[in-house]
Amino acid sequence: MGVLMNNEQTVKLSVQHLTKHYDNEGANAIEDISFDVFDGEFLSILGPSGCGKSTVIKILIGLLAPTSGRIFKDGQDITDWKISKRGMGIVFQNYALFENMTVRQNIEFALRLNKETKPTAKAVTDDLLDKFNLTEHADKKPSNLSGGQQQRVAIARTLAMKPDLILFDEPMSALDASTRLELCSEIKRVQREFHTTIVYITHDQEEAFSLSDRIMVMSTAQIRQLGTPQEIINHPADDYVKSFVCDNLAKKIDSLNAIVGGGNDKA
Amino acid sequence: MTRPDKKISRYNPKHTAVVAVLGVVLAVFVVMPLVALLCKIDDKAWQTVFSGGQFGTALLNSLVTTLTATVISVLLAFALAWAISRTAIRCKELFSTLFVLPMLIPSISHGLGLINLYGNNGLLTLLFGTQSHLYGYVGIIYGSVLYSFPVAYLMFVDILRYEDSTVYDAADVLGISKWRQFVHITLPYLKKTLISVFFTVFTLIITDYGVPIAVGGKVKTLSVLLYENAVGQLDYSAGAVIGLFLLIPAVAACLIDFFNKSTDKVSFVTKQFSTDKQRVRDGLGYTVCALASVLVLSVILPFLVQAFTVSYPTDMHFTLQHFTDTLAGHNGWYFLLNSVLMALLTAFVGMATSFLVAYCTARLRTPLTKALHAISLLSLAIPGLVLGLSYIIVFKASFLYGTLTLLILANTVHFFASPYQILYNALLKVNVNLESVGQVLNVPRYRIVTDCIMPQCRSSLAEAFSYFFVNSMMTISAVAFLSTNDNQPLSLLINQFESYNMIECATVVALLILTVNVLMKTAIYFVKKRAAHA
Repeated sequence: MGVLMNNEQTVKLSVQHLTKHYDNEGANAIEDISFDVFDGEFLSILGPSGCGKSTVIKILIGLLAPTSGRIFKDGQDITDWKISKRGMGIVFQNYALFENMTVRQNIEFALRLNKETKPTAKAVTDDLLDKFNLTEHADKKPSNLSGGQQQRVAIARTLAMKPDLILFDEPMSALDASTRLELCSEIKRVQREFHTTIVYITHDQEEAFSLSDRIMVMSTAQIRQLGTPQEIINHPADDYVKSFVCDNLAKKIDSLNAIVGGGNDKA
Repeated sequence: MTRPDKKISRYNPKHTAVVAVLGVVLAVFVVMPLVALLCKIDDKAWQTVFSGGQFGTALLNSLVTTLTATVISVLLAFALAWAISRTAIRCKELFSTLFVLPMLIPSISHGLGLINLYGNNGLLTLLFGTQSHLYGYVGIIYGSVLYSFPVAYLMFVDILRYEDSTVYDAADVLGISKWRQFVHITLPYLKKTLISVFFTVFTLIITDYGVPIAVGGKVKTLSVLLYENAVGQLDYSAGAVIGLFLLIPAVAACLIDFFNKSTDKVSFVTKQFSTDKQRVRDGLGYTVCALASVLVLSVILPFLVQAFTVSYPTDMHFTLQHFTDTLAGHNGWYFLLNSVLMALLTAFVGMATSFLVAYCTARLRTPLTKALHAISLLSLAIPGLVLGLSYIIVFKASFLYGTLTLLILANTVHFFASPYQILYNALLKVNVNLESVGQVLNVPRYRIVTDCIMPQCRSSLAEAFSYFFVNSMMTISAVAFLSTNDNQPLSLLINQFESYNMIECATVVALLILTVNVLMKTAIYFVKKRAAHA
């Protein structure tokens, strides 16, 4: 499990009193939430569908404007900044790859448009293709790749722009179990190798617990608990956290035991 | 601390401004002419139209012929679509191509084709030594069916392609008869499409003047009355009153289509129909397809014969004289090139405009998006004749009148809605997050559009281009009001040649239009095929 947190760690991102209200909805999508993300940390935002976690990520990247509240990155108030100036990257659940381009072109496209020289862009692309085991697929179109490979292209494309903070919006929802496992270790490797801070959205308890340094549990527009996986397991803040996180995890472990045990019996 | 100046708001003001400008432009060219048309109507116009007694008769004639032709057309189209999608007959591609051929020539050509066969000197009339009963109701209904069934056929084929066969498998297992499956599964599934097809075909027929003017004889329909009033007698006010009546079914069709939007056409098919051979069913499929093919070819093949023989059907020696007469003697080359130029420019302008508008409505979130979408679909409700009349009322005194620009503008507006819908649907299917990715990667939106989105919509763009081109080549409605002797499209020569009894020349023109359109369709077929494999 991740980096030990202590008071000396630098705050990378600070979210203060963030609220979002949609015109056509009665209740707030998020209600006065505040949290910090430390430099190099892996923070997962865990919650069921509709709890507001996607709204948080869209506000962080700049795709949505908050109704109130501020966002600070490296001490600077970026609440009103243009998306491209924020130095963040995002990996979407549906990959959002450029379907008409090859894997190489997907990674190179933004580099060339951001005035990188052709040799530099090629070198960066080659390096990323290599790091993500995509070299042999460089000339393929995304539609000819598996889901896991497509997600790796999406991550490589994001990293090409050298963001110091990457947001993952439920990146594994569309993947099968074995690909998920593979991609989990890939994402951890990215965090280590590129020294990146990661904010990761998920509704899956296992993903959150296996990947994160800290987990922020959300429900109905609010933060229910923010802490390390051990803290959440050992000291759930309320009944909701206990039921949504701990009990669900326990059920899954029981199911696995039953399957494994059953198999052994038959054997 | 540096603070980039750009603020984020719920709606991007630049997007709202672009949508507003497009909305105003469309309103000026779509809504304003209609308002002008309505303003043109005064008491005298009502009196002129209603006093002669012609109007009532024309209205009745229109209703009788249109309703009859619509019912036949819809039934025929459904039978053909069923045969193509649900039987194991061979040569489906060939049949499908034949069925849409009538869409590539002006409606008046169908009348011409029928005259060739069943007119006073028609091949079949002379062969059997009978009297011609073509002119009148029979001719209008026959020609209208030929002209309209391909549209209905395409709509049915499209919806049948998306039907899930699993439910029929389940019905088979439960022992439900084929007839009850049809009544309780197929018909409810097709209900919305049926309504939409019915109104589309009804509007197409009631607003067309090409077929009735060619084979209507003494039976005058509303569209012919409008044409005579506005083009013949230059009485725009009376024309406007009649135009108002033609607008009613067109607006109704548009509204029904708008509120009837398919929830029944799902974007995925759980299981496609597998068509194993069945003798009776396939025999029925062959019969229906063969019958329709004969209908289509019996009208189009005589064009070929007539165009290349000295005097069809009495002197069948080969000649190119009719082509020489039409192209050189009657300046046909000039009008052909003029038509092709107009169609090409309309196709470029129309494709670009419809893509831009569709992009805004499909992918930009602004408070005006829905209004722009509604205005874009409104053009579907304006028959070409009414649009032409409206435009002449608005632009008669302007510098645009008599120019190619006005023809291109009118055609773009006239044919806007269908390509717009094609592109709108295509753009909705493109990943919603592409622009967001572009923003994060600091790639300008226009590069995302040109480099990522447009290539993904290549097939739909080609379809839109082809739609504008083909329809501009064969239209005889709006352009009839707006063109001058110098810039009139080739299609309008058919009526002129026919009125001077120069049937061979009219046939040559129809053949030329068919050839150009078939060439365009073939080119588009290869572009789409390449796009599919790209």
